[in-house]
Amino acid sequence: MNADYILLFFLTGILMVAGGMIMAYMISPKSENKQKRETYESGIPTIGKTWVQFKVGYYLFAILFLIFDVETVFIFPWAVAMKKVGMTAFVEILIFFVILGIGLLYAWKKNALEWE
Amino acid sequence: MEQIITYILLALMLIFSVMTVTSGRILRSAVYLLTVLVATAAIYFIMQYQFLAAVQITLYAGGIVVLIIFSILLTHHIEHRMENPVFWKAMISALAALGAVAMIAWVLKDAQSIQNVAGFIPPKMEDIGMALLSYGKQGYVLPFEVISVLLLAAMIGAIAVAKPALLQFKNKNFKQDDQ
Repeated sequence: MNADYILLFFLTGILMVAGGMIMAYMISPKSENKQKRETYESGIPTIGKTWVQFKVGYYLFAILFLIFDVETVFIFPWAVAMKKVGMTAFVEILIFFVILGIGLLYAWKKNALEWE
Repeated sequence: MEQIITYILLALMLIFSVMTVTSGRILRSAVYLLTVLVATAAIYFIMQYQFLAAVQITLYAGGIVVLIIFSILLTHHIEHRMENPVFWKAMISALAALGAVAMIAWVLKDAQSIQNVAGFIPPKMEDIGMALLSYGKQGYVLPFEVISVLLLAAMIGAIAVAKPALLQFKNKNFKQDDQ
């Protein structure tokens, strides 16, 4: 049963991408010149290599994102069982959130969320 | 039907795994790895482990791959193309891989598929949530709360480690600008 859904997603994905490409190939007017091949057509010409080193600041955001991502994973089953368990579940998730909220406060206080 | 799709997915996983390790360009490797992880999630879906599949997509395909891609973009020479390894190194790697396969096969030789066990019902997300929240026997509420402490520690650790390095990086760049 689940396999059918997977197949459906798979085919839809292929159809969406391939269909778009084939349609564009078929109906688009074609003209070829050097300017067309630039990264930003009619924009500012790019200077230097595309492969530049990114700012380290991104990494901290990536790690913070990952930590809150893990948190989300625990919220999924909580949300499903919440109604059945009732008030206890609410208190439990509140404790969970408060402890993680301290982390967010720490990040805020240490200017980790600041972009510099 | 289910079997055919499973085999297609397994083939995809194998192909993209090989491409991940053989591709000379590191960013492409990361993208191939993403495909492998998503295919793994699809396998979990077929086995009716919905929660595991959701975790696989949010954490591995979402989080870990983002982290890997960021680490790659932070390195100096992204455009650098890896050369093919010398023959004896490739042989040693192949030997290690074969050893791993042999070990897994040895562990799995007596195992039978969980779907074949009589009365097997795939766990529902609600059951997982109930187990996570109950404080009685077989309840996991303490680990659940301790996880938040672990995540807090990870967050503080990440900031404590990354922040001075960030400042150092900034100062270095300023100095370079002055010159």
